[in-house]
Amino acid sequence: MKLLLVEDQSELARSIKNYFLAEGDICEVAPSFQRATEKLYAFQYDIILLDLMLPDGDGLTLLKDVKSLWPETGVLIISAKNALDDKLKGLELGADDYLPKPFHLAELNARSKAVYRRRKAGGQKSLSFNEIKIDLESREAFVNEAQIELTRKEYDLLHYILINQKRLLTKQAIAEHLWGDYMDTADSFDFVYQHIKNVRKKIVEAGGRDYIKTVYGVGYKLKEEE
Amino acid sequence: MNLIVRITILFVFVSLVVFLIGGTISYKVMMREVEYEQQRFLIERLERMERRLERRPPRNPKKWTKLSVTPLEGRREEVRIFSDTLVMHSQLDRLETHLKLEAIKNVHGKSYLISLYDIIIEPDDIRDGLVESLAKMYLILLGSVLIVGFGASYYILRPFNLTLSIIRKFSLKDTDQKVYFPKSKVAEFKRLNQFLTEMTEKVQSDYRSLKEFSENASHEFQTPIAVIQSKLEVLMDGENISEEQMEQLHYIQNAMHRLSSLSNSLALLTKIENKEFVNVKKLKVSQLLAGQIEELRELFELKKISTDIQLKEGVELEVDKILLEVMFTNLINNAIRHNWENGQVRIELSSEYFKVSNTGPELLMAPDDLFERFKKSNQSSKSMGLGLAIVKKICDHYGFESSYSKKDELHTIQITFEPLKRRS
Repeated sequence: MKLLLVEDQSELARSIKNYFLAEGDICEVAPSFQRATEKLYAFQYDIILLDLMLPDGDGLTLLKDVKSLWPETGVLIISAKNALDDKLKGLELGADDYLPKPFHLAELNARSKAVYRRRKAGGQKSLSFNEIKIDLESREAFVNEAQIELTRKEYDLLHYILINQKRLLTKQAIAEHLWGDYMDTADSFDFVYQHIKNVRKKIVEAGGRDYIKTVYGVGYKLKEEE
Repeated sequence: MNLIVRITILFVFVSLVVFLIGGTISYKVMMREVEYEQQRFLIERLERMERRLERRPPRNPKKWTKLSVTPLEGRREEVRIFSDTLVMHSQLDRLETHLKLEAIKNVHGKSYLISLYDIIIEPDDIRDGLVESLAKMYLILLGSVLIVGFGASYYILRPFNLTLSIIRKFSLKDTDQKVYFPKSKVAEFKRLNQFLTEMTEKVQSDYRSLKEFSENASHEFQTPIAVIQSKLEVLMDGENISEEQMEQLHYIQNAMHRLSSLSNSLALLTKIENKEFVNVKKLKVSQLLAGQIEELRELFELKKISTDIQLKEGVELEVDKILLEVMFTNLINNAIRHNWENGQVRIELSSEYFKVSNTGPELLMAPDDLFERFKKSNQSSKSMGLGLAIVKKICDHYGFESSYSKKDELHTIQITFEPLKRRS
């Protein structure tokens, strides 16, 4: 997956870039409207991560350009402008998704992958980790090729974990991914624990190994058995 | 009482006093003139009589109407004495005060007493005439004052009243609209309008910048928070982090998360206050609410909360969808958060109200403070204390009524739509 990150905040851009590089993706950074346009004319990108507030222009204008000139490129808006108007405007203009700042890198990764998969007809159809596999189209989960029954939330959780393999997923990042703004941190951690417990149980019952490791009670990480 | 009425009443009162004093003065002056004229008249007649006495001095007392001459014994000093006397009036058939002149005149060495009286104008008549004319004048004055006060002042004060009505309609909501005041030739009104124009422009620009500041501040917070958040994640994902360090990082992450939602909530409050939610449509509330409860279903189940949901079909409201969703979410979330494990939640929707009741710990504050910003029943709790403030703000925005009550261990918050329904 080849990404263009249009973000003027250099430190944030670096964190995002490193995260994607570690995932094995290609990520280039354009700190301005001007640089972004130049890069878009020169190279082909799968997805543009677009900040709406740029020092030399409005991100929405850039979005319009991308939609008319490079329609096959996916656009994910990342903006501090949580204004619902901008969100609607962005989606109306053809952005694939909108992620308000601040976000978890894992969430950005998951959303980018989702956009990528939706856009590319020949994109990834499944995700797997050893004997665990999920089918992204039918939304079914398998352990050793045998299907296990997961609830919608449990599937989403497993998907999130598989897409951010070998990364620490804090309880907070998981809670936000599963429930969005509906829940406050106070209660959500217990709920995350409940869901993790259920998923683990179902995998183990189906003969799989428990790869979901608890990290100091702060979060979870998918890891090979040692 | 308006200005014109006050001025008119004052004027009417003052002119009444002036007329009373003026009437008394005129009466005195006229009486003085009349008396002077009467004296001259009597003296003239006396002198005519004296001349007659010189030509033909009478031997016996002689009497005419209003005049008598009496010869006196011995010689007397010549005098003239005026006095008042009551005499039967010849035509009016009643006693009237007449002016009387008694004089002693020496003719050919003999003294005569000449007594004569007369009346030209009775004082009563003068008084009556004065009172009548003054009263009529006063009535005319009163009439013209009222006409001028209420009629002409309407035209004179029209620019002022126009200005007033423009100010009354002035709202900060449409800050881009310039306010125009009518032109006036009156210097005071001109100054007033000029002052008001400057003031409204100042207020509008201040308000605009405040509004921009509140919104921008919230956006500007998010960027550094996003940087911190991403760096924290990188740190936490690194190797060689001890458990204690990880815990510290986790606390920082939670605090950052709270900071971010806090600034989002404040931005939402500001946006409602700034009346930026204008996307008002007729919404199928029953369906919307049912969908939202479905989304939250899992939270009920995880806390093993039993629910009793009664939604009336076909309830509609003309409001902004986002705000209505925020209101329902905040209220239902509250009912879950401030609940016991195995507790209870009741949700009721009718065309008049929305009601959510829940079991849960006692309120530790006055119910009146419940809807205030940053008021929390439990200060150490992790909630921000903005949820109900936002609900209240939304209610105010649409003229809904929010109230809290407690009965049979159930905390109930009720939102009454009634005022809105009456309007539409």
